[in-house]
Amino acid sequence: MTTTTDVLVIGGGATGAGVLRDLARRGLRGLLVDRGDPGSGTSGRYHGLLHSGARYVVSDPLAARECAAENEVLRRIAPRTIEDSGGWYVQGPGDPDAYAAGFAAACAAAGVPCEERPVVELLAREPRLHPGLLRAFRVRDAALEPWELIEANLADAVAHGAAVRRYARVTAMERAGRRILSVTLADERSGSIERIVPRLVVSAAGAWAGRVAALAGVRLRILPGKGTMLVFAERLSDAVINRCHPPGDGDLIVPIHTVSILGTTDVQVTDPDDTAVERAEVAALLSEGERLFPALRERRVLRAYAGVRPLYEPPADDGDGPGATAPPGGRMIRRSHVVIDHAAHDDVDDFVSIVGGKLTTCRLMAEETVDVVMRKLGTSARCTTAAEVLPGQEPRHNHWLGARLAAHEAAGGGDAGLICECELVTRPDLDAFLDERWPCSLDDVRRGTRLGMGPCQGGFCTFRAAGVIAEREARRGASLDGVADLASASAASFLDERLKGVRAVAWGRQLQELLLVEGLYRGVLGSTRPAVDVGASLDDSVAPRVAHAVG
Amino acid sequence: MPSVDVVVVGSGLAGLATAVRFAEDGARVAVVAAGSATLSWAGGPLDVAAVPPDGTPREGVANLAARPGHPYAILADDIDAAVAWFGVTMANGGLPYEGDLDRPLRPLPTALGATRPAAIVPAAMADAMEPWRPGEGLVVMGIQGDKDLWPAAVAAGLRQAFAAVPGTGPASITAVTVALPDLAGRRNRSALDMARRFDDPRQRAAILGRLGRALDGGPGGERRIALPAALGLADHAAALAAAREALGGPVFELPMVPPSIPGLRVQAVLRRRLLALGGRILLGEAVARVELDAGRVARVILPAAARETTIQAPALVLATGGLTGGGLVAPASGGLRETVLGLPVEAPPEADWLASRADAPGGHPIALAGIRTDAQLRPVAPLGSTVRRRLPSGVRIVGSLLAGQRFVDERCGDGVALASAWRAAA
Repeated sequence: MTTTTDVLVIGGGATGAGVLRDLARRGLRGLLVDRGDPGSGTSGRYHGLLHSGARYVVSDPLAARECAAENEVLRRIAPRTIEDSGGWYVQGPGDPDAYAAGFAAACAAAGVPCEERPVVELLAREPRLHPGLLRAFRVRDAALEPWELIEANLADAVAHGAAVRRYARVTAMERAGRRILSVTLADERSGSIERIVPRLVVSAAGAWAGRVAALAGVRLRILPGKGTMLVFAERLSDAVINRCHPPGDGDLIVPIHTVSILGTTDVQVTDPDDTAVERAEVAALLSEGERLFPALRERRVLRAYAGVRPLYEPPADDGDGPGATAPPGGRMIRRSHVVIDHAAHDDVDDFVSIVGGKLTTCRLMAEETVDVVMRKLGTSARCTTAAEVLPGQEPRHNHWLGARLAAHEAAGGGDAGLICECELVTRPDLDAFLDERWPCSLDDVRRGTRLGMGPCQGGFCTFRAAGVIAEREARRGASLDGVADLASASAASFLDERLKGVRAVAWGRQLQELLLVEGLYRGVLGSTRPAVDVGASLDDSVAPRVAHAVG
Repeated sequence: MPSVDVVVVGSGLAGLATAVRFAEDGARVAVVAAGSATLSWAGGPLDVAAVPPDGTPREGVANLAARPGHPYAILADDIDAAVAWFGVTMANGGLPYEGDLDRPLRPLPTALGATRPAAIVPAAMADAMEPWRPGEGLVVMGIQGDKDLWPAAVAAGLRQAFAAVPGTGPASITAVTVALPDLAGRRNRSALDMARRFDDPRQRAAILGRLGRALDGGPGGERRIALPAALGLADHAAALAAAREALGGPVFELPMVPPSIPGLRVQAVLRRRLLALGGRILLGEAVARVELDAGRVARVILPAAARETTIQAPALVLATGGLTGGGLVAPASGGLRETVLGLPVEAPPEADWLASRADAPGGHPIALAGIRTDAQLRPVAPLGSTVRRRLPSGVRIVGSLLAGQRFVDERCGDGVALASAWRAAA
C-alpha cells in the first residue's frame, strides 16, 4: 500500500504531536507515525513539570526565557492538562549562598516571574519541607499531564485533516541522491507494510533521532541522557519544590495527581531504550531528596522509572550551531532545541530534524520546525498554535482525584462501577476509551485513563480491564482467543513490569505489596506465562506495561 | 495483670491453628494480631505441597523435606496428623474439606481464567476436581456488576489453559452473566457483599432462581457450573446445597481476589473454635515489646491509646508471617528485621533478593528469608551465621516466618502452617 502526504512526522511525543497540529493548522497534510503509542517514549517518562524557566536562569537564560513564555502559552491553550500547583525554589542549609543571592536577579533578567517570600510562609504551606530552609522563591512551576497534551494536539491535528498511525515503525527510507523517495512503515500489530511518499520528512524522534537519521543516511549525534525518577505514593507537597542551586540530581519534586515524582539523575547511555534503573541511582536520589524532605526515606516509594533525554551534540566544526559553545556533558549541554535542515548540512533536501528541547517548549519547537518546513515547501502561513485553544479543554477540577466520580454522579450515573479504585476510573470511563481506541493494549488504556497508576499499581484493575474487554468482545460475537491472550499476557507482563519498577526500590511496604500481589496472581489465581509467546500471535501491543506511574 | 499460658502473635492459619491446638490441650491462650492476616487472601484450597505440580501433596512434602533447610525437613513427620486435624476441625465447624495427601494434584479453575494445582479443597470446590468426562461442559456464571469475576474472560482463559493439555478439560466452556434486577445500577459489589446476600435465604432463593433461568437458555446435556466464590459466609453450607439443587448439578466456586470468602470461612471456623475453648483474640494490637526474665519470655506488652496492656505469659509463639504477612520488614536502610523480638533473620544476599522476572523458576530468592529454628521450632542462629548471641527462650516460630520455604512456588504454605502449629503445641 502506498500513501502520499505533504509531510511525514516521525515520532509521537509532545514535539511530533505539536508539529502535526501546526502543519494541519497551516494547511499542510501531515501524517504522524510512532513505533508505539504516542507518548510512550520520553514524553511519557518525564517528571511532569511545566517549567517556569527558573531552573535555567543561570545556566541557560535563553532556555529560561523560552520556558517562561511557553509556560504561559500552555496555560492558555491547554488548561486541562495543567494543575497550577505553583512552584518554589528553596535554599537549604548546604546550598551555596551566592546562587540564591543572584537567583532573583537572574530570573528578572531572563523574564521569569519570581518572588522571594518568607521561609515561614512556605513552611506553613508545606510542613514536610526541611525546617532549616534559608530562602524561598515563588515561581510559576506547575504539573503537566503529558498524555493529555499529546492527545489534544493529535485530536486538533486530525480535526484539521492530519492522520496518525500508532504502532507504525519506520523501517527504511529510500533515497535517490538528495531526495527521499519513500519511507517504509511496518505495522507493529499486524506486520503489514506501508509505503509513504511524502514531500518532506520531519524527524521528531527525540532520543531516537540519531537512528531515524541513519535510515536516511544522515549522521546525527544524539547523547541519550537517562534520567531516573522515583514515584512516591502520596503528594509530599502541594507545590513543585526545587532546590535553589545549580541544577543537579534529586533536586526536584513534582506533585501530580495522587503521587509525587522525585527527579532526576542524568546518566549518559548509549541506547535510548535503556531505561533500567540501578539501585545506586535510587540511593543518590534519596539522599539528595532528603535535603528537601528530611523524612523522605520513611515515605512509600511506588516505583522507579527512567526516561531518556534527547540531548543534541552538534558536530565539532559546526561553529554557528546553537549550543556549539556549550561544553560537553549531560546537564551542561544546552537544553534548547535545534531545528536541523539536512539540506544545509547533510545533502538531503527534504529532511528536517528537530532535536533537543524540553516538554514545556514543545509548541515553540513545533512552530520553529514548521516555519522551516513552510519555507522549504515554498508556502507560507502564519502559526496560530499559540492562540488557538486545544480541543477538550473545558474547565474542570482536573487534578482532583474525585472529579471523575463527582462528574459521573452529577450526571445521575449513580453507582459508577469503579474498575480502578486508586485512580477512580469507572466503567463508563473505560468504555468511552475503548469505544474510541479498541483494539489497543492495556498500556494504552493506562495512558488514556490513568487506570493502574495509583498506589496498588494495577494489582486489581489489570485483570478487571481485561474482563471488561472480554465482555465487550463477547457481546459483539468476536472470537475470544485474542482476549484470552490479552488477559494472560497482561497478567504476566504486568507482574514483570511491576517487578521492573520496584526492583530498585525493594523495601518497606512496596516490597511487601510486590510479594503479596505476586502471591495473589501466581499462587491463588494460578497466573502463568502463556506457553506461546503472545508477541508472535498478537503483538507487542498486548504486552501492557501497566505499572509505570506517570512515566 | 492478665495471665495466660501462651501468647500467639498473628491470626493467620498458622497462628489460629496453633492457638486452637494449645487451647484443645487446656492451655490458656491469647492471640494478638495487628490485623486479620492473610486468610482474607487465601483462595480456599489447602496448599500442602505441589512439587511437582502434577504429583500428590505427599510426594511434594517428601521432595521438599529432602531440601536442606526447608521447614518440612523438620516437620514432615507431623504433616499427616496436622492435615487430618484440620479436616476434622473444618468438618466440625461446618466447612468440610475433601481430598487428602495422596490425591493427585489437579487443575482447579480460578477467577483469573487460569488453573492452579489443588488436591485438598473445600466442598464448594470439590466438583471441579473430578476428571472431566467426554462431552461434559463447563458453564462459568457471574453476576453483572461483579468487578472481580468476568465470565467471558474466565471462559476464554480456561479454554486456553485446558487446551494446553488436550483431553484434560471440559468439552465446552461457555459464559453466562446474569443481571439481578434489585441490584440494577449497583456495580461496586465485592464478594463479601455477594456472600452476605447468599447467607439470606430469601435473597439466596431469588438469585439462584435468576441463575437457573439463565441456564435454561444455555447448553443442555451434562455440565458443571462455576460460580464466584461467594456462596455464603455465615451460612455457606446451606447456600452451597441450595445452589446445587437450584442449578441441578455439580457446582463449584472459583477462587477470587481478596476479600476471599473461602479464606474468611476458614478464619471464622478457627476463631469460633478458639473462642469456644476459652481462648482470647486481641485484634488491632501490634506487640509493643516483650519483656524477659532471666532470658525467658515473661510479659508481652501491647500498646494502647491510654496505657499499655501487659499480658503475663511464659511462652510466645510468633505466627507473624514472612515479608508478605508483615513478620519481617525490609527497612529503606537495608537488611531485614523481625518485627516482634528482633530475632536474627536468615536471608539471601540483598543483591539477590528479587529474580529478574516474576515467573523465574523458584520465584524470588527473598521468599526463603525467615527465622531458622531447631526441631522444636525454637529460634536459632541463621544457617552459616557466625554470630552467637543468646536468643530468648520460651519462643516458638510457626508458619511463613520459618526460613527456607518458597510458599508461592512450592505451594507449601498451608501445610507448613499446620504442621508447625501441630509441632509447636505438642
